[in-house]
This record gives sequence, structure tokens and C-alpha cells, in this order.
Amino acid sequence: MAHGLLNETRLSALSAADAALVAQLQQGSEVAFRTLVARFQDRVYQTAFSLLRSPEEAEDVAQEVFVEVYQTIGRFRGEAALSTWLYRLATSRALKNRQRARAKKRFAFFTSLLGFDNETLYEPPDHGHPQALLEGQQQLQLLLAHVARLPDQQQVAFTLRHEQELSYEEIAAVLETTVPAVESLLFRARQTLRKHVHPLLRHV
Amino acid sequence: MSDSAARSNSDDAWDDLLGQLAAQPKVQPRPFFYTRVQARLAPEAPAASPPLVLGWLRRPAYAVLLGALVLMLSGDGSALRPAAGAVHYNANPR
Repeated sequence: MAHGLLNETRLSALSAADAALVAQLQQGSEVAFRTLVARFQDRVYQTAFSLLRSPEEAEDVAQEVFVEVYQTIGRFRGEAALSTWLYRLATSRALKNRQRARAKKRFAFFTSLLGFDNETLYEPPDHGHPQALLEGQQQLQLLLAHVARLPDQQQVAFTLRHEQELSYEEIAAVLETTVPAVESLLFRARQTLRKHVHPLLRHV
Repeated sequence: MSDSAARSNSDDAWDDLLGQLAAQPKVQPRPFFYTRVQARLAPEAPAASPPLVLGWLRRPAYAVLLGALVLMLSGDGSALRPAAGAVHYNANPR
């Protein structure tokens, strides 16, 4: 891990607590790394799970994110909040992981067509969220299935907004874009979803 | 039912569904997540040490090639003699 103190002017996006934690991490403190993992593991895991819908893949991505943080914290300059950086790493790694899985699935499909092997095809992740699998949650399950089919940027924006409940500003920071761009992504995502999902009003 | 009332119901149902999405129980990683991250970091440590100077020799193809090169060059030049001898033999037929 790289050593050295950060220039305070570069830490403008960080809160005082985060800046202190980053400084300790950059000095190689294991206690600081443990604190970081404890503080962010749920959010990183939930973000990965929202995009992959597979506990195993979400665990793998979450571990990769913290390994990357450990290895690259020396280059972290504090231009973004610590949580923003971690959300960014989690979403980009989850999307890469999904692309790899899709490529593997396509390859397995073609090799099975050509008869190169008799192995079973890659099984897609189960998109059924634990909650959605309960009785009466079919609409939620249908919504999640269609969210999984949205273009990457729209899916990330929708997930961060409606599952992680991030503000538009926070989402813009994660996606390294503007607030109007996030509004546009969310508008298009909702439009697409409303074409496919027609929920009925519950009478509670 | 008028169009506006139907749209209002649809919007309410949509908001209700998004509310359900936000209210779903949050998933969490299995216990001892930090331990598993540490285990994943452990094999990374040797990679941080300086690379072996002749690390490429561990590749079988390079090792075989190097061995063949050493064998070829370690002789006393006998590999060239048969050719010279053959020329000499052909130059003096019976």
C-alpha cells in the first residue's frame, strides 16, 4: 500500500471522518481497512446483488472491490466521496462480471450447436429476489426481470435510485455525469418498464 | 372511469410497486466477509515481491530451447566436420 499524506485541498469531496480513514489506509493501517470493509460491505454487496441477482456473484464482486481498494488506495486523490468511489467500483465490476457471463453463455451456446462438447449450458443467474419469490410478489419479480434487461447505464441509475435510495446528485457522481443526464436515464428506464409492467393498485 | 382517473390509478400502482422495491429486505453478505477478503489478499502478497531475474526460464518452451542451444554450442565443432569431410570425399573419386 502506498504511503504518504494527502494534500488537504484534494480531499474537498471527503468528509472529515472519511479523510482521516483514507489517510490511515494510505499509511497501511489494517485496522483502517477493517473499518472500511465493515462500514461499506453491505452497500457494496447490495449494489452488486441488485445488478447480478446472484449471491455468489455478488460476493465475488464485493470481494474484488475491496481487494482493488486495498491495492489502489494510494492513488485515491479524494476527488469523490469514499462511498461514491466504492459504488463506482461495485457497479463497474458487476457490469463487467455480467458481460463475461453473457459472453460465456454465447460461447457455450455456439459450441453446443457445433457439438464440440456435451456439457450443460451456462445457467443464467436466478433473477428471483428472495422477497419476490414470496407469494403475491409476482409483480415485483416481473419488474426485477425487466430491470435486468435495461441498458447498463439505465439499470445502474434505476438500481441506485430505487434500491439503494441514492439522491440524483449521488448517482450523477457515481456515473460521472450530470444530474440532468441521470434524470434522463431514469425517465427512459421508467418509460421502458411501464410498457412491460402494469401493476395493479393494492387495496390495503 | 375517466382517462385521468385511470392514469391516476396507474401512477399510484406504479408508485406502490416502486415503494415495494425500496422496502424489500436488504440482502447481506455471509458472516466473516472480512476474513474472506483477507484470504483473497493473501496470495497477492508474493506478487508484490520483485520478480525473478530468470523467471522466464520456468516456461518449458524457453527451457527446452535454451537446452538445445547449449548442446549445439557446447560441442567442439564436430557438427561442421562431416560437411567438410563430404566435400573432400566427393572431390577425390576413385
